Amino acid sequence: MSRTLNGIGATPRRGVGAAVWVDRTDGAVDSDGTPREEKAPESPEAALDRFEAARDAGVTELEAESERTAERVGESEAEVFDAHKQFLLDPTIEASVEEAIDTGKSAEAAVRAAFAEPIAQFEEMDGMMAERADDLRDVRDRLLRLLSGATRADLSTLPSGTVVLADRLTPSDTVQLDPEVIAGVVTARGGRTSHAAIIARSLGIPAVVGVGEALFEIDDGVTLAVDGTAGTVLVDPDDEAIEAYSENTAAAAIDDAVETADGTPIEVAANLGSSAAAAAAIDAGADGVGLFRTEFLFLDREEPPSEDEQYEAYHEVCAAFEDRCASSGGHVIVRTADIGGDKPIDYLDLDSVENGFLGARGIRLSLEEHAGLFKTQIRALCRVAAEAVGEHLAVMFPLVSTVEELDAAIDLVDAAVAELNAEGIDAAAPELGVMIETPASVMLADAFADRVDFLSIGTNDLTQYVLAAQRDLDRMDSYHDPLAPAVLRAIDQTVQASGDAWVGMCGEMAGDPALTALLVGLGIDELSMSAVTIPDVKRAVRDIDRTEAEALAADVLACETRGDVRSAIGLE
Amino acid sequence: MERVVTVVPEDGLHARPAAKFVETAGTYDATVTVKPADGDRSAVAADSMLAVTGLGVKGGDDVVLTAEGSDAEAALDALEAILSKAVTE
Repeated sequence: MSRTLNGIGATPRRGVGAAVWVDRTDGAVDSDGTPREEKAPESPEAALDRFEAARDAGVTELEAESERTAERVGESEAEVFDAHKQFLLDPTIEASVEEAIDTGKSAEAAVRAAFAEPIAQFEEMDGMMAERADDLRDVRDRLLRLLSGATRADLSTLPSGTVVLADRLTPSDTVQLDPEVIAGVVTARGGRTSHAAIIARSLGIPAVVGVGEALFEIDDGVTLAVDGTAGTVLVDPDDEAIEAYSENTAAAAIDDAVETADGTPIEVAANLGSSAAAAAAIDAGADGVGLFRTEFLFLDREEPPSEDEQYEAYHEVCAAFEDRCASSGGHVIVRTADIGGDKPIDYLDLDSVENGFLGARGIRLSLEEHAGLFKTQIRALCRVAAEAVGEHLAVMFPLVSTVEELDAAIDLVDAAVAELNAEGIDAAAPELGVMIETPASVMLADAFADRVDFLSIGTNDLTQYVLAAQRDLDRMDSYHDPLAPAVLRAIDQTVQASGDAWVGMCGEMAGDPALTALLVGLGIDELSMSAVTIPDVKRAVRDIDRTEAEALAADVLACETRGDVRSAIGLE
Repeated sequence: MERVVTVVPEDGLHARPAAKFVETAGTYDATVTVKPADGDRSAVAADSMLAVTGLGVKGGDDVVLTAEGSDAEAALDALEAILSKAVTE
């Protein structure tokens, strides 16, 4: 008899395989770090030698993991290992360990004692500081494992079709997982935004995190079907479920544009965070780019990028997609700098409240104190728009909440074209759009649609603002659900008001194949998502009957609770 | 020897900037300390990741660096360079 475990979906993919526990501290240490069994006594000299050997081995491991992560995942994901190394080498920790060993403690007990106080201190602090407590726990557990003499569980050699189970995976565990052989990852603890969840997502491994104590009842070898979209794990699934879950894992890319079974074309595009990501998106079958985030050009540097540098970046992504857009009819939609909110930029001197989620961010900054920066970006974009590769270029503005803002932004585009032409430089106004992210933009969607070519619904921010639930607060996680009736009705209102403008969607919701029929039924023309989910969504589009999808949308819009919405969609 | 430096990396003294800062501080003979310029926090050892991240220094904050020892000036130069760069190599 199969049963279901519920957690949080971390990678929107499905996989099925045999459970293998990899948790190294399992049975040795309680969650609070209390030893379940004390080590036999040893001399202080022996204890100190063992500690130093374990620490040196830890440094070697971390250096190797940092290098491997930088290679396989990315430089910024590798940073955590550099931080762990410095915690491992911390002289304060060393002194506390030595002191505890001197008083007759075993090396293990000394390590636990030395980490206990700093972990407690960091836990009491806010935000980023509290995350350091997790880092310290990882470092402590690494030392304890090395002290126990256990060789590290080598996760890179697990057999094909393994579902990895752990109390909590460290980033070092996760980066060893080979997406070609690992069918899924399920953890008892950890959240959607934990390092491990983010790395699993970027590797495209189906993952469900935060399942809780129930996970410990699963034994090695049990068959599990992991649904990283719904956040569920089926224990002992039947043959039908196994087949359904297996199909999704090896989704082959569909390069052609897709339409519903009854012939409505749907553009399936990629969200890109940099020009370098274009090739992978094309491989995944993206028809175009539904959201090109330009913040990467502005981050990690000391001054804003020049017009020429931006021109190169936009030209590069347009050139990469030129052939694909020509055959699929897709777009390359560049979003102007969405600075502020949770994306601070050091040289702009932003404040976490003044420029926070309810402060001056997005278009507000672009029209006011950072107008110069905005103008440079618009000029670069208008130059690309005048070229052959710029044929499919479109530009959209983030966080617009008034018609005045939109009019001002459009005027700036026209002025940039005139100015460039006067300088003898070729320039043209690209296709323009507005992001629908605020309740105000939903209410004004008709006025916006009269002025631009398209609307693009950013469901992550729209959900945050419609429900007044800040995105980065753990406490608000349960509110942050795009399937809340209020959010779905806001999406519907936007489509109903869109007139001649076409409507796209570029939030996390757009990449969920379980919701594709609903979104097509609501009248969305273009869906943009992480490249990893494109094959699944394209497949889902082909199965849709437009009339049935519209009936589904009508049923869902009539729902008054999240529970009713989920049952109407068939999610539970 | 003392120097006041503005912390440029947006994350402040966390994660990578902190790791680089602490690692570099440990390579000099000089004893280096760091503390926030504002408030009355006492100075901590610059070669301790725990102590440095525990200060909670944010991007844009000023910190006071002190160094005592034969290569004190070189140590301060190297640490100032790290804190003044948005990207650490």
